[in-house]
Amino acid sequence: MALFQRIEARVDAGIGRRRLGYALLALIVVYFLWFPNDTTQSNYAKTVFISGFFYAIMSSSWALLAGIAGQFSFGHMAFMGIGAYVAGLAARDGFAFLTPESVSSVGAIFIGTIVAGLVGLVIGWLLLRLRSAYLALFTIAFSELFRIVMLTEYDYTGGSNGLSLRPLLQIADVDTARQVEYYLMFALLIVCLLALYWVANSPVGLFLRAMREDEDAASALGVNVVRYKILVFVFTSMIVGLAGGIFYSDIGSERIIPEQLEILQMSLIIAYAVIGGMESLIGAAAGAFIARYLLEATREVVITLPFGLTMADGADAFVWEPGAWRYALFGLVMVLTLRFMRNGLLYPIITWFSGRDIVMKETVAKRESDEDHAARLEVGDE
Amino acid sequence: MKHRCAFIVTIALITMLTLVPLGMVSADGHCEFADYTITLGGLAPMSAPGAVAGGVAMDWAFKQAAADINADCGVQIDGVNYMLEVITGDSEGSPERGQAVAERLILEDEVDGMVGVYHSAVGLATMGIMEENAIPTIFSEPWNDNVSANGIIEFDGAAPRFDDGIDHIFRISPASSMVGSVVTDWLIALGVEDVVLIVENTDYGQPAAADEQARLEAAGVTVSQIDVELGTEDFVPILSRIQASAEPPDAIRIVVTGETSFNLTQQMAELGIAPTPDTICVTNQIAFQHVQYWATVPDGNYCAFNRVGIIPSLFNDTAIELNAAYEAEFGDIVPSFGMASYDAVFMMVDAMERAGSYSDAAAIVDAIEASDILLSQGRYYFTYGSHNPDLPEGTPTFMWHQWPDPIVTVMQYFEQGQSSLEAAVVYPEVYQTHGTAYVVPGTSP
Amino acid sequence: MIDAFLAWLLLAGPLWAVIGLWALPQVADKRKNDDEPSLSTLQVAGVVSGFALGPLGVGLYYLRPRWITRATLTIGLFVAVFISSQALVRIEDPNLPSIAWLILAGPLWSAIAAYLIPRRYRETEADDRNVLTAAALGGFAIGPLIIGLMWRDTPKISRDWMVVLGSLGAWQIYTLFALHNADNLCVAAPYHITYLAQQTANGVVIGCIYSLMAVGLTLIYSVQGIVSFAHGQLYMVGGYFSFYFLMHGSNLLSQLTGTEISINPLWGIPVAALIVFLMGAFFERMFLKPMHDGLIERVSEYAILITFGFGFVIEYTTLAIAGPFPQRTDRFIEVRRFTLPRTQVTDEFAFGPINIIGDRAFAMLVGIALIFALLYFLQRTWTGRALRATSQDRQAAAVTGINPTNMNTLSFGLGSMLAAMSGAALIPIFAWVPWVGAEMVGRSYVIVVLGGLGSVPGALVGGIIVGIVEALGAGCHPDPSRGAAYKEAFALVIFALVLLLKPTGLFGREQH
Repeated sequence: MALFQRIEARVDAGIGRRRLGYALLALIVVYFLWFPNDTTQSNYAKTVFISGFFYAIMSSSWALLAGIAGQFSFGHMAFMGIGAYVAGLAARDGFAFLTPESVSSVGAIFIGTIVAGLVGLVIGWLLLRLRSAYLALFTIAFSELFRIVMLTEYDYTGGSNGLSLRPLLQIADVDTARQVEYYLMFALLIVCLLALYWVANSPVGLFLRAMREDEDAASALGVNVVRYKILVFVFTSMIVGLAGGIFYSDIGSERIIPEQLEILQMSLIIAYAVIGGMESLIGAAAGAFIARYLLEATREVVITLPFGLTMADGADAFVWEPGAWRYALFGLVMVLTLRFMRNGLLYPIITWFSGRDIVMKETVAKRESDEDHAARLEVGDE
Repeated sequence: MKHRCAFIVTIALITMLTLVPLGMVSADGHCEFADYTITLGGLAPMSAPGAVAGGVAMDWAFKQAAADINADCGVQIDGVNYMLEVITGDSEGSPERGQAVAERLILEDEVDGMVGVYHSAVGLATMGIMEENAIPTIFSEPWNDNVSANGIIEFDGAAPRFDDGIDHIFRISPASSMVGSVVTDWLIALGVEDVVLIVENTDYGQPAAADEQARLEAAGVTVSQIDVELGTEDFVPILSRIQASAEPPDAIRIVVTGETSFNLTQQMAELGIAPTPDTICVTNQIAFQHVQYWATVPDGNYCAFNRVGIIPSLFNDTAIELNAAYEAEFGDIVPSFGMASYDAVFMMVDAMERAGSYSDAAAIVDAIEASDILLSQGRYYFTYGSHNPDLPEGTPTFMWHQWPDPIVTVMQYFEQGQSSLEAAVVYPEVYQTHGTAYVVPGTSP
Repeated sequence: MIDAFLAWLLLAGPLWAVIGLWALPQVADKRKNDDEPSLSTLQVAGVVSGFALGPLGVGLYYLRPRWITRATLTIGLFVAVFISSQALVRIEDPNLPSIAWLILAGPLWSAIAAYLIPRRYRETEADDRNVLTAAALGGFAIGPLIIGLMWRDTPKISRDWMVVLGSLGAWQIYTLFALHNADNLCVAAPYHITYLAQQTANGVVIGCIYSLMAVGLTLIYSVQGIVSFAHGQLYMVGGYFSFYFLMHGSNLLSQLTGTEISINPLWGIPVAALIVFLMGAFFERMFLKPMHDGLIERVSEYAILITFGFGFVIEYTTLAIAGPFPQRTDRFIEVRRFTLPRTQVTDEFAFGPINIIGDRAFAMLVGIALIFALLYFLQRTWTGRALRATSQDRQAAAVTGINPTNMNTLSFGLGSMLAAMSGAALIPIFAWVPWVGAEMVGRSYVIVVLGGLGSVPGALVGGIIVGIVEALGAGCHPDPSRGAAYKEAFALVIFALVLLLKPTGLFGREQH
């Protein structure tokens, strides 16, 4: 009993909760590491996870850009596309003075990443003058322009047949290949998340948050607004460019198609981030993972009826194929999340584990007691 | 008395309620099914950005085929009856999703064969997965020449992905190159001198247009090509451009699908560019869906279109039944990919029955290669495959595992609101229904 | 080999110029000496030396800042001009069509001017309104000449300036088209006048229809300060409401009277308007009102996301209910097209024929009528005036007894209604599918930004401009095969340029 109380006390103190959170996180990481060895799971499950990791990267980097830095960009998918397309073109046609033969798969992805970063630099610089709605509109225009050009210049880009990238891995055995692809994508996710967290928790992250809240005030306090705005744009562009280059080098898919760059796809990324929590990078990543899983799992809803009841046609289960309703409901969840749980559906969990709610409670309590104190002082003065 | 009445009525009701299901069971139960259910995976685009309208029709065709087969005691292998189920996987028209879904169907649902696929990009991307997992596959709609072609090279500079041949993939839809030739032959036979091709910039449009252009130019016809993006609604500027050229072209050929092609055809008619006595209008196979066509192209009379798949006057009993069922569901005529998807399921079942196994991929593939079966679109067979690897010099690689004669015809409406069942078949000559190679606008054959 | 070299030169020249622009001013920090050249001189020197001699030039000036004199700069300029002209003359190779000049040189000068001139104005403390736009336009149209002029004189940029420079820019593009291909329909005499008139007519007709939708967007923005990202879906759903009303209404009437009756699609417009007005107002009350009540942090982001989500829900709900098959209603009028017949003006030159599709002309009239009705409502009625008052000053309006909350709801409802009306007006013209809104809404954004967010006349003018640009772009694009595919892209390019150069648009309020 005493032990239990002690644990409870420590949990309540916040430190314990955070440790619990870290333990849980470690557990999840271990599970993901162990997952490919689960013999009951097929290669398909790994494929689903691989694409889940990819979307988690997209979503969490967007959360840094939009949620933390307040740069509401719809061009995230386009930067991913730049990474993938440039990598594909570099490996096929060569790049500048490099011949196709001299560009390896890794080299091509590297070039793609750099180009995505450079374009991010230019776009970020152009975007300096624009805020909120204008910024969103500009990035939509950029993204659409890029898609249209990729679609129309089919002599170079393959048009809607897509562009196949040079495969990153050459492993003949399917099972081993999938295993390696899985670990590669997972490692990329971890690296990206660490990098994103490093930025978010560094002074830069603090500046970004300050700029998001009030750009003029931040600027007045000496934050170099221009530099950090561009920096965050370049940084996230490079991350998604890299992710795109790797994912489409036959890791998740063997070809990139322009339809992948449609605003619809971008809106899904945004929805994942919103549902998971725009201001929490890991929340956004988890949101992408969970939302994709749910969208996949609800393709066919089967509810087995209890007590031996049957439907009118004699079936013992209620079967519904929601089709487009799935996305309609998904959109509804997104809207309701925005309205009623602005920080995402995972926010309560994350706060509980981080112990932040205790800090908040204490702050409020302290402030109240301060106010009481002040009130008493005033009374005393009278 | 009252109570008694109620009691009797209740008894009667209960008896009826118990008997009705019993009756259903006995009526249904004339076949004894084995425990195992044979499953086929059907790939179709069921949500955007894929062509949802196509996917819906294909999904329906899979389900219809499975229902028809099960009503006829299912798949019969060595005297045992197996239930058949077709599980539709949503490719969303994206290669990435298509690959994942194909893998899910093969590995999770453990399907015994695959059918379907609408988008060529999905077909190209999923071939590898079926090949790796040795799943017999019959594609029913992708047109790209490379689908099912032997020894294709996916990435320049890399070794061919399938250097030991594509063993498991078959196709009963036409390759792009096969479709174009009929329309161009018709135009050449009519003696046109210049043609404008309006082409969607997709995996379907571009190769098809390139092929048609090459054929027309080889026959000395002047060709100009105009690309359009799918989803564009207003074509008036580009049509004005055609109208403004010194002489109106002899023919305008629309290689665009979906609502975009409807908009294009309608605006062309409204502007008075085509069909006119001077300019032939040739749209594509979706004009065959006459309900949709007339609802969205009220001025589209005298427009010719190519029909892929069997023509209505040649509909056999299977096709007529299938069409009636489709019409009851969607209120329109069954599209070719609906028929092909329906047939693909039947072909697969037929091959399994002849192979005497639902799991022995090699045997099933052999059986498919030896197919000789009459279904809704006609007689299916394969001329070029591992049983017959040596064909005359110059046989294109796409003929590998390719049904050699999907019927492609040119048809023409000659009355506004006409059903495509009554439309005139104008080319090739052997199929002509109204004894004319072209119905001049304003006349009736 | 030589072509690859030229291509490199064209790319590398500007590249080094930009590097020079950045690198040389660093000299000022490193080397403190008395006769230190001014920052602007260093920038010019950087551009010139980089363009003329690449890394060599920049390096030279970097190491020997003393050499930055007027004389060396003039020599450098000559070298730069010589090299670029040599490069340009040789572009006859089909791999590098003269369009490359347009892509590389015009925008290059434009960018240089846009970078340099505003700085110069700020330095000299001249009136710098519109300078960015003028510099970019001028740089594009006349190249280095205008840069020099503006640098020296820093003239005040009036509207006349803008018009002159804009026309010059347009002329520049036109000349390039002519240079590129003399057979282009837009430049091949004598028919080109008729052709341009036909394309302009096409543009104006469709542009007026586009405007109606854009007006809704602008109305919402003017009162609430948010851009509705659900606008395309409301447009789409308006068309569907009209479609279902006409279908069921016609069937019902036919059954009741026993004769075949089909309702004119005109009646679908008020029905769709009413339903979507209620939808919009309901959405505003539920989801946007809390935003104005101060319950929500970072309002602008929230507004984008929530309207975006609203559109998402509408689109997929419609897809689930209406299915993916295209629909269309009957036509408004039975006239297929209006034709201005061919007239022989002189022996050489004939004008016409010009064709306009009947239903479109009708939809254009509907659109214009509705826009004027809206203007009347805003100017002459109490509620309309209250809306305008709210858009100008919320607090002041509230003091005079206007309830801003109701005005918000009204504006969103009205804006959504206008989108639905344009949908209902267009469903007789275009085949309708649930994703029909995407293309249209993109265009509406272009229109409102071009006309100035919040300005109703701006939306009308913007709509017509976008219509004309799309028509001329598709009609005159040098490669006929790509013209139509890039139709959407022309408007997007304008959009990006307006956002960058003059975010307030043509009629927008000046930023505070």
